[in-house]
Amino acid sequence: MIEPEKIAEQVRMCAACPKMCRHVCPTFFAWRSDAPTPHGRALLMHQDVVGTRDIDERGVEVLYQCLECSHCLTWCKPEIDIATLVEIKRRSLVSKNRQPTGISELVSLVKDNHNPFGEDHSKRNNWIKTKKLKGKKILYFTGCTAAYREKESAQDTVSLLEQLGFSVELTPDEWCCGSPLLRTGNQEAGLELAAHNVDVLNAVDAEEILVTCPGCYRVLTTDYPENGHELNKPIRHVSEFLKHELNKLPTGSLDGGVTYHDPCHLGRHSDVYDAPREVIKRVSGSPIVEMERTRDNAMCCGNGAGLRTLFRDYAKKIGAERINQAKTTNAKYLVTSCPFCKEMLDAQSDDTLTVLDLPEFVMMISKGRDVKTD
Amino acid sequence: MLDEKSKKKAYERILKIVGEEHITVQETDKILNAHDAWPLSEAKIRAGEILQLADMIVFPGTVEEVSKTLAVANEMKIPITPVGGGAGTCGGTVPVYGGIQLDLKRLNKIYEIDHNSMLVRVQAGVVGIDLEEAVNRHGYTTGHTPTSLRASNIGGFIATRSGGSMSSLYGKIEDLTLGLQLVLPNGSIVETKAVPRHSVGPDLRQLFIGSEGTLGIITEATLRLFPIPEERRFRSITFPDVHSGLEAIRKIFRVGILPSVVRLYDPEDAALSFSMHFEFEEGHCMLLLAYDGDSKKIDIDEQQSLQICLDEGGVDQGEGPSKRWWEHRYDMYYPTRLTTGGYAIGDTIDIVATYDKLENVYHAMKEAMEAEDAVVMSHFSHMYQNGGSIYMIFFTSQPDAEIAWETYKRIWDVGVAACLREGGTMSHQHGVGLSRSTYTEDELGSSFSVLKQIKDVLDPNGIMNPGKLGLGVRK
Repeated sequence: MIEPEKIAEQVRMCAACPKMCRHVCPTFFAWRSDAPTPHGRALLMHQDVVGTRDIDERGVEVLYQCLECSHCLTWCKPEIDIATLVEIKRRSLVSKNRQPTGISELVSLVKDNHNPFGEDHSKRNNWIKTKKLKGKKILYFTGCTAAYREKESAQDTVSLLEQLGFSVELTPDEWCCGSPLLRTGNQEAGLELAAHNVDVLNAVDAEEILVTCPGCYRVLTTDYPENGHELNKPIRHVSEFLKHELNKLPTGSLDGGVTYHDPCHLGRHSDVYDAPREVIKRVSGSPIVEMERTRDNAMCCGNGAGLRTLFRDYAKKIGAERINQAKTTNAKYLVTSCPFCKEMLDAQSDDTLTVLDLPEFVMMISKGRDVKTD
Repeated sequence: MLDEKSKKKAYERILKIVGEEHITVQETDKILNAHDAWPLSEAKIRAGEILQLADMIVFPGTVEEVSKTLAVANEMKIPITPVGGGAGTCGGTVPVYGGIQLDLKRLNKIYEIDHNSMLVRVQAGVVGIDLEEAVNRHGYTTGHTPTSLRASNIGGFIATRSGGSMSSLYGKIEDLTLGLQLVLPNGSIVETKAVPRHSVGPDLRQLFIGSEGTLGIITEATLRLFPIPEERRFRSITFPDVHSGLEAIRKIFRVGILPSVVRLYDPEDAALSFSMHFEFEEGHCMLLLAYDGDSKKIDIDEQQSLQICLDEGGVDQGEGPSKRWWEHRYDMYYPTRLTTGGYAIGDTIDIVATYDKLENVYHAMKEAMEAEDAVVMSHFSHMYQNGGSIYMIFFTSQPDAEIAWETYKRIWDVGVAACLREGGTMSHQHGVGLSRSTYTEDELGSSFSVLKQIKDVLDPNGIMNPGKLGLGVRK
């Protein structure tokens, strides 16, 4: 919780800055206007705080033209986290029922279906094939994107865990983690999901919880405990999990270079940068060809914090730019460690660049090796 | 401000040119786009004031759209305020008489690099850092690295006649710009050919470099490139006083050495900037030098310039302070709690003068500004064979807004007056904008009428950035 005085000080400083971070802001890239920029958001909030001017309807729109990717924070000497300040302001807007219609619809979709896609909850993860193995029990929290949109990633995650000797547990009762709601200011609705998921996940007999989606990872490890929803098992992201199994991972060689896209929620928000890189290096036998903007300076894929829901074309424009950045490395494979990023980036890519989520990449190597061995 | 009927008519006509997505009359957009980084604007915003707003903002995507928009504005006599990166420090983009803010950020294409001639053609809305990174990939640098590099754009560089921290070697933007495309107030598109030198009459390109949007709108430029230097080496020397430091600088240039960075900090600025990190004699000045290029040539230049400094009473401080400045050169641009608290306001008067006048200008300005309740610290930077610039940095904090803005104005008035009295020129690289607009006539003297006559011919309706550069001030 940030004190109101601290918020006032931070938005004042950001509103007085000559835009030292704007050049990396993905929404500035997409709109080429000073409105959807960290400085623009801060100025709106500053005028609201000091009473110069209330936030009008367009101001609300500007505050939702933010990916909450925190790329600006990497370039901010005074370390002002506009993403967090925007999220706090969004909560206030939601409490006054002033959020954009598209966000209200998103909340309804999640409430009704337990996922933001409006898909049938009963088909969430019952299609994933699991074997009943005797290894250490790992509870795989599927997440909505892998469950409904990136099914290969979900199945490959399970197959990979089983190949490593683990027994994979799934629960059909998991709901959306709440990330899309929490990031768009719908805290109450998001925490209802948290309460449900904590009850469900805590009741499953498993030694730890594994997630592949960094959005889920962040809420399970940060938002849930910060709001009193404690999980009774350790939570690990698949990249960190695989890093601990490095010597057991399949290895092989590839017919082209590999570059890596850092998901915002995994990198900047959870400080996980090395684990996916170590996994990729181990299984492919060669180091990553890094993009110019990488690690804490990586550009967002364009999908976050409701932007795709509200401004689809602009989100795609950002995703397409990230693909352009990946292509300048001449890599043949773009690996990320997030099904949500993968979905956006894959949709913006073409035949010259194959986009894969980390479990898919490892399983592709695994299958390749098997073919060669046979 | 426009009356509602004119505003509606202009909006409808321009909407057909740029499309609905690229024109706005929303108050929020107008507020968020209204200002640049003029310290007075920033202080007023912090204090809760709303600056003058445009009637609408237009974001053209092509030079043709700029042309058609200007033609409409000219016909309807609507003020046009061009906006680049919005990083200027003089209020040049504040639409003091309303009208249209023409924001050029969508003109952001980097065209081809001519490797033979070492040139790059680029649109006006490209942000400086994006161009620098793009040419770096091909082994070049633009040589133009102002502190605002991440926020300012090419059109703004040229319109304000800007300078980077390495202008001693690479030159200012007027030296780096070979060709221009611009749109005149009547909508005609004009190009000046990109050639290294010519003898075909006056250099019309230079007429528009520094014109701050008062004569037309720069839409494209052809800029010089330099190979990324093999090495950039740093050296620092302290001097007992400003005079000996300046003498050393003058003699370094006199023997033909061109360091890329030359910055002499006066005792106050040296203490603030370096005493926390380095040990040196209290009350001494700090000279920072950098050399770009071939390592063997740097060896010779560095030794020779060091000897000149030692002969002038300098003490060698190694690479430390100079290198640290380079690595942290953007830090001072960020706001802090102190500089944004209450009614605090600081600014820089970046004057320029020849060596024979430089010290007198420095002492006269410092004395005059300090008499007006300003904390003043200075460094001499952007130095050349015949003279250089002084950054007269001042800071004041006052109990309320009215006193703060008045004090700020008085410091400016006495500072510029002292500069002009001692034979200096009031800006080296920041431009004029609003902050210096009222001093322009005194600065240019007999040549001001020439500028005014040119303005009257090119912009008979006075639509282009009125109120800036001492031109088009309305009652």
